[in-house]
Amino acid sequence: MESSKPNSRETPNRTDGTGYYVYCIADSLAAQEIVQGPVPKAIEENVALELITRNSLTAVVSVVPLSEFGEDALESRLTDATWTAIHAMRHEQVVEHFASRTSVVPLRFGTIYMDSAGIEQMLGENEKKLSEIVERLRGRVEWGVNIYCNRQTLMDNITNLSPRLRQMREEAKEASPGQAYLLQKKIETQRADEAKVEIARAVDDIEQVLNQHSDGSTKLRILKVETTEHGELKAKFAFLVLKAEFESFRNAAEELAQTMEQSGIRIELTGPWPAYNFASD
Amino acid sequence: MSSPFEQVMIGSDVELSDEAELSLLETLDHVLNKGLVIAGEITISVADVDLIFLSLNVLVSSVEKANEVLRERARGNLAELKSSHDTAESQ
Repeated sequence: MESSKPNSRETPNRTDGTGYYVYCIADSLAAQEIVQGPVPKAIEENVALELITRNSLTAVVSVVPLSEFGEDALESRLTDATWTAIHAMRHEQVVEHFASRTSVVPLRFGTIYMDSAGIEQMLGENEKKLSEIVERLRGRVEWGVNIYCNRQTLMDNITNLSPRLRQMREEAKEASPGQAYLLQKKIETQRADEAKVEIARAVDDIEQVLNQHSDGSTKLRILKVETTEHGELKAKFAFLVLKAEFESFRNAAEELAQTMEQSGIRIELTGPWPAYNFASD
Repeated sequence: MSSPFEQVMIGSDVELSDEAELSLLETLDHVLNKGLVIAGEITISVADVDLIFLSLNVLVSSVEKANEVLRERARGNLAELKSSHDTAESQ
């Protein structure tokens, strides 16, 4: 041990080539109670979850080898998608376990400290901010809302609903072949425009209505242009929902989905998630 | 389900959707991309995460690999006791 100072915050890095992986931060009393029961496995095999506590806040951690989780090692590990996916799943399982039992601040994947003193110091320095987040998220979970649109259904529906399009279609029927061709082109452009407007309106409506049943929302980026059996993914949101409000949130989503079904819009809820999207201040 | 995770597709009918592929991608997006960033000694930058997603899209489209990861998830869930406390808290 090379530390000459008695202050524990000055302790050197762990010398055995390991560090601490941090999953989430919770209320100390609640975290200590949770680990009395069974807990999921840690991100690495054969190690147990540990708690590092300072005052009212506790970090949920486990020991990881720096040969895998050191800065350079981690960067190259992350290029292996299977490795990344499996470890991200394990991170999620730990956070979910605590989040379903108490209020936690979920951390992003890959937060590693060299020693427990560094974590204690971080908890101390950020105590006010972290406690505020814990309280803000208490009793709440995140629900994901994915909005899909089946283009064919929407297009058919728009032609039937739009007086302008109906009129153009009638005109095309009676026009000469040359005129009909031009009109058909115009109809297609008009339909595409109206479809865009309709989708934007539906997305706005869904956001606005569901906001009334939540404590916050954020629009998320679309990871990849997905075309599923439910149509194309048009928008993604995350909502922070009080657990006690979930039934009304879900009912509102269901009602919206029923109204919009004819326009080819489908709504998918995913969750309950730990409040990853609402963890920052 | 042993996990508090639930995924529902809402339409004229409410059904549990086939969650495998989507929940994998959704989970990865949450864990790798969201969550509080605290200055640790080691933290991954967002730019790197975007690169990871490129290869993850390949992973997710490979059914075999995706299944491997989901089996991993299932194993983790088995390690957890299904407790009534869990259900009570998450609802």
